[in-house]
Amino acid sequence: MNTDLNFDTEFFWKHLLTPTDAFIEGLWRTIYISVTAMLLALIVGLVVALMGRSHFTVLRWFAGGYVWLIRGTPLLVQLVLVYSGLAALGVYRFQDIMVSGLVFQGVVQAAIITLTVHEGAYISEIVRSGIESVDPGQIEAAAALGMTPLAAMRQIVLPQALRTMVPPLGNIFNMLMKSTSVLSIIGVSEMFLVAQGLSATTFRTFEIFLVVALYYLALTTIWTFTQRAIEIKLNDQVGIVRSESMIKKLIGRRPIRIEAGV
Amino acid sequence: MSNVNELTVDRRLCKPPMVQIQAASRRLGGHQVLKDVNLSVSEGEVVVLVGPSGAGKTTLLRTINHLEEIDSGLILVNGQMVGHREAGDGKVSRDSARGIARKRQGIGFVFQHFNLFPHMSVLENICHAPIKVLGRSKAEATATAERLLERVGLLDKAAAKPRNLSGGQQQRVAIARALAMDPALMLFDEPTSALDPEMVGEVLDVMRELARDNMTMVVVTHEMGFAREVADRVVIMDAGQIIEEGNPKEVFNAPRHPRTIEFFSKIL
Ligand SMILES: Nc1ncnc2c1ncn2[C@@H]1O[C@H](COP(=O)(O)OP(=O)(O)OP(=O)(O)O)[C@@H](O)[C@H]1O
Ligand SMILES: [Mg+2]
Repeated sequence: MNTDLNFDTEFFWKHLLTPTDAFIEGLWRTIYISVTAMLLALIVGLVVALMGRSHFTVLRWFAGGYVWLIRGTPLLVQLVLVYSGLAALGVYRFQDIMVSGLVFQGVVQAAIITLTVHEGAYISEIVRSGIESVDPGQIEAAAALGMTPLAAMRQIVLPQALRTMVPPLGNIFNMLMKSTSVLSIIGVSEMFLVAQGLSATTFRTFEIFLVVALYYLALTTIWTFTQRAIEIKLNDQVGIVRSESMIKKLIGRRPIRIEAGV
Repeated sequence: MSNVNELTVDRRLCKPPMVQIQAASRRLGGHQVLKDVNLSVSEGEVVVLVGPSGAGKTTLLRTINHLEEIDSGLILVNGQMVGHREAGDGKVSRDSARGIARKRQGIGFVFQHFNLFPHMSVLENICHAPIKVLGRSKAEATATAERLLERVGLLDKAAAKPRNLSGGQQQRVAIARALAMDPALMLFDEPTSALDPEMVGEVLDVMRELARDNMTMVVVTHEMGFAREVADRVVIMDAGQIIEEGNPKEVFNAPRHPRTIEFFSKIL
């Protein structure tokens, strides 16, 4: 083994602690694309989940077809189809637009739309099972108090479903932040693409991608803590007191269970 | 116009029974759960519904506030159909979700498993529907809720969450929640069946007091002591039919129907 590792420590620290403006811009793009797509996907997921429970067959079919189509094809392919495919077909070409003095790039619009549609399909399944996890007696109690089905859904069922939905939704957001790296394929200069550029000009591939890895790790770690805080708040709402420590949750250690008969 | 007024006056003079069930039938999963049931409950009356498991007591109770539909027959609460509406030409059609919800406001329902809202405090459980459904102010709803909590002896639990209450406490909150809507009628489906024996009394006490205050009540229960003491009328159901009814003394001391005798011999 080569003892003389070709690792430029100074380069690594410089890029970790004082990243270039382009890198920071890439990082921001990663963050706001993730957050925007997630928020929009929550709305899409909720609407599709409600469609799936509708009395109207057409809406149920639409919801089923959407989930089937999106979950059955890779994100990368969807991305290229939406951004490059639609343009090539002459259907729609994403244009840069100005929003209060800021440029909203066409390619970023395509990225957010595709991620929204993609994650919306997964989220609709989470919302569906979240709704189904709520005791039907809750809907009856709401109905008996004179609440309409819509009010019962909004005020009674969804707030309770949220508690079971947060862990899988948190997972979706975690994966979404990381999967923004595939946006580089259509030329969104998020963190990954910027790093690729740096790597090509400096040949410090390992150092620069180690920096990138650490930044992704920082983002997902912040999210893990945020998610845990949300879970604690929701548990608090139903009167469950906190037991598991934050660190344990972070490392993902599970209590050791000795199962009888194994 | 004057016609309508005459009609209202007329109705008030006749004073229809609080609940009127006529020839109600219901089939569920290939099984005739209700067969041609007739029952009428007048204002202020306490009717206790008893019978063996699977007799259709829950189903009958749930048809009164349209949690369960009937296939044929007619059910009127305060002279109105709950699940249907009558158009001007006398044609009857299924009511809208909003219409059904409005008519349910005046009918309190207490479930065997309480069904309190777990994400709300005790006080919020009681205030929620008066605020959101009846449009009462928060202050007014809170005042009413506190008065009701005091009545069921749980004012000190106002801020607690349902999961941190005992079964008996939860059921008393559920009764307060139903009462907060100012119902004209209260329906109870085995309100003490899910409780530990030592908690049954506290819930029955609340119901006893309600009866004393002249609330119209239909109660499904296996608590025969309560039935004997509180009921104005005991109705016995078996296999989807009402097989016997009468005042508690008559029915308990001298049951006539062989199935009633058999049922009492098992539980008394
Ligand atoms: N949704 C349903 N589908 C099929 N059968 C049903 C349904 N609901 C109720 N039943 C049947 O109807 C019958 C009456 O049920 P119901 O719950 O009204 O009885 P009950 O008198 O309340 O009994 P219990 O004392 O056990 O509560 C039972 O035989 C039950 O199995
Ligand atoms: Mg029952």
